[in-house]
Amino acid sequence: MENFNHILLFRTDIKSEEDKQTLGSLLDKNKNIEQWNVDLNDEDYVLRIISYTLKHEHVIEMVQNYGYMCCELT
Amino acid sequence: MRTRDIGKESLVKKTAIETIAKGGFESFSMNKLARACGISVATLYIYYKDKDDLLSQLAVEHGKQMGKSMLHNFDAEAPFEVGLRQQWENRYRDLINNPTLSKFNEQLRASVYQEQFLSTLMEDALVPFTRFNENIISRGEVREMPFEVYWSVAFAPLYALIKFNNEGQSLGGKPFKMTDEMLWEAFDLVVKGLKK
Repeated sequence: MENFNHILLFRTDIKSEEDKQTLGSLLDKNKNIEQWNVDLNDEDYVLRIISYTLKHEHVIEMVQNYGYMCCELT
Repeated sequence: MRTRDIGKESLVKKTAIETIAKGGFESFSMNKLARACGISVATLYIYYKDKDDLLSQLAVEHGKQMGKSMLHNFDAEAPFEVGLRQQWENRYRDLINNPTLSKFNEQLRASVYQEQFLSTLMEDALVPFTRFNENIISRGEVREMPFEVYWSVAFAPLYALIKFNNEGQSLGGKPFKMTDEMLWEAFDLVVKGLKK
């Protein structure tokens, strides 16, 4: 069965293209992140990360340290 | 462990089409869609990268399906009246039997997804439809005219009747339900108008 544990999802307050770019400089540098995306067109501003090694708490800490709200999307 | 569920995916697509048909793209959100499907927002984002990804996929799939259905039993080599009748029948069947689909079409055509929708729609249909239109002119059944003029006369009456029917009313709110007789009466007039 296909497994989706490598897709990590978060509700955030990354609302603008500038916010996305600010955070992007952090996420792009991280070798553990294969792909990432923020849905700026929807109300939950979902951050979607593909990573085979990171856990939710790692990402939450990283994003919160940048001053953004970030909690696991369940 | 999260896994892909085909049943859920088709429920998502069906519900998204219904929601957009009713309320348009403006008020559409992943959160509302998840709630309407009885699934979590997270499940949606497992299947789709973002809202745009979902809506693009929907537009493309819908275009493919419409294109296929428009070609049902259509023969590009058929005489003008026969070929046009089949095109009317295919469009009529789809849009009358499924008013939701018809409203979703209208929404798509007025959205940023119009381009994706129309290009997939015409991917398979463009060649046979163009061939048909060339045939009817070269055989002298219909005189040459700008494509837009031909299309307006050939199809706009059909779409106007379908719209009246699906909205349940015509001009000034007059209650309206289309019958097959009305459809083919309009068709005969169109053929009369276009035929040389």
